Amino acid sequence: MADPSTDMTAPVTVEGHWDFGYTYFAGDAASRFFNELRINHRIMGTHCGSCDRVLVPARGFCDACFVATGEWREVGPEGTLDTFTILTTSFPGLPEPPIVVGYVTLEGASSAVLNAVLGVDLADLDKAGAFLLTQPRVRVEFTGEPQGRITDFAFRLLETR
Amino acid sequence: MSRAHELAIIGVGQTPYRRRHSGSTPELVRQAVGDALADAQISAREVDIVIGGFAPDGLSGENSPDKRFLPAAGAVGRWSFRVNTGGTTGIAAAYAAMDLLEAGRGDVAVVVAVERMAQANSVPAVFNSIFDPIYERDTGLSTISMGALRASRMMARWGYTREHWAAVAERNFAHAARNPLAQIRRPYTAQQVLESRMIAWPVSQLDACPVSEGVCAVVVCRAGRVQGSGQPFATVAGRGSLSDTYNMGDRMHRPIGDLVDAITLSRSARRAFTEAGISSARDAQVVEIHAPFTHGETMTYAPLGFCAAADGPDLVASGYGGWGGSTVLNPSGGAQAANPVGATALIRLAEAARQIMGRAGGHQVADVRVAVSTGQGGANQFSTCTVLAG
Repeated sequence: MADPSTDMTAPVTVEGHWDFGYTYFAGDAASRFFNELRINHRIMGTHCGSCDRVLVPARGFCDACFVATGEWREVGPEGTLDTFTILTTSFPGLPEPPIVVGYVTLEGASSAVLNAVLGVDLADLDKAGAFLLTQPRVRVEFTGEPQGRITDFAFRLLETR
Repeated sequence: MSRAHELAIIGVGQTPYRRRHSGSTPELVRQAVGDALADAQISAREVDIVIGGFAPDGLSGENSPDKRFLPAAGAVGRWSFRVNTGGTTGIAAAYAAMDLLEAGRGDVAVVVAVERMAQANSVPAVFNSIFDPIYERDTGLSTISMGALRASRMMARWGYTREHWAAVAERNFAHAARNPLAQIRRPYTAQQVLESRMIAWPVSQLDACPVSEGVCAVVVCRAGRVQGSGQPFATVAGRGSLSDTYNMGDRMHRPIGDLVDAITLSRSARRAFTEAGISSARDAQVVEIHAPFTHGETMTYAPLGFCAAADGPDLVASGYGGWGGSTVLNPSGGAQAANPVGATALIRLAEAARQIMGRAGGHQVADVRVAVSTGQGGANQFSTCTVLAG
């Protein structure tokens, strides 16, 4: 191996770092959605008059029809787990595993919303997965004092087997 | 109006795909473009258009990398810009170049697509940052969990099991062992896939693509330039591209099709097949499927016309797509053996072209007359399908 102190072809690397701060503006629709969560503890959707769907979480417009949404409607608190994954690997900056996240369609909603699923026995992953594939019923559970964030709520299994 | 058969791919240049490259991005770009021009038997002076694809800036840690990599692809003095649509970046760049050629902006275009994601200290953390910061990012969504959410939906709807997907992985790894450019060349068995570390159930490590770097370049020209010349080329016989809504939850109960029906791919494929005059991807001898995950490959089977969606598990069990069959799936090993994100969708096109031109080396399939390639990107919302013919 060449001596790096004299090797003219030794590869050089330069360290870099991105640590920029940002302030994201939620906008009119998501602000109201989050304020409904924080103040009224309820999940709201918006109705698209063109495709007759209730979009959850609330959106100011339906991107499929490209029209503004209209009426605000409360949905849930119960719903069906449409699909899920069990996160089993730790990654920096992401929630600690094992956790279940899933898309749930709440009563009165036409679309599914993603959040954590609580109350799943994760001792045997394949067994847990097989049960969750039956698309069990869940109920919205507020996980503490609401902050006006999507993580204010999660879904708890209404049945566990 | 169909513009099919007006364009030809005449050259391909690729760096090997590896976990990490020690060269600089401009050096790697120049190498791949130089190889593509040599393969096309043309000089840089003959190029009119240079389109570059580069996926999220955060992966490479270089903001607006177009400033530095496009000149390394020969952009100086030419019509040139950069494209980014996540996983479809590479093919979106190719389509932009093809559209410009069809519009009469020039006769010859270079398309180059780049990935330097190993420069990031935490690839999953960067991938989390591509999601909606208002409604989604805090839930821990990553590209892997996004895939896993679709995989479990396919299990519930169509009866896929982890064993089906392990068989898909085994076949892709067996093919990759023939391809010296592939990153993973070890022929892992289905059993080893099942026993690999679980990442996001039901997706295990060997169901998922590795972290990969590399550059792919393709030279496209107006077909009249090479027809009758005796030079090998692949005719662009048909292509289709369609976008969908962003939120995956919005695609769960739609009358037009479920999240995992991949309707944008179905419709892109139908358009491409009609232009090319074929009825399904079964009419191709080679299909390069853009799928960084095993379940993602099987999600394309119905859209490409291999079978009805519910029959996908049986198609896998039959061993369809292996070496020696009437249609070989991913002879290069596919995105599972190397997934340089910004380049992957262009690699699928480049590999299809190499098969048509008879220049695929150790993974050349015999007598390829029609080859299909696909692209899937964004939150699985951007789809493309391309048919090449000899």
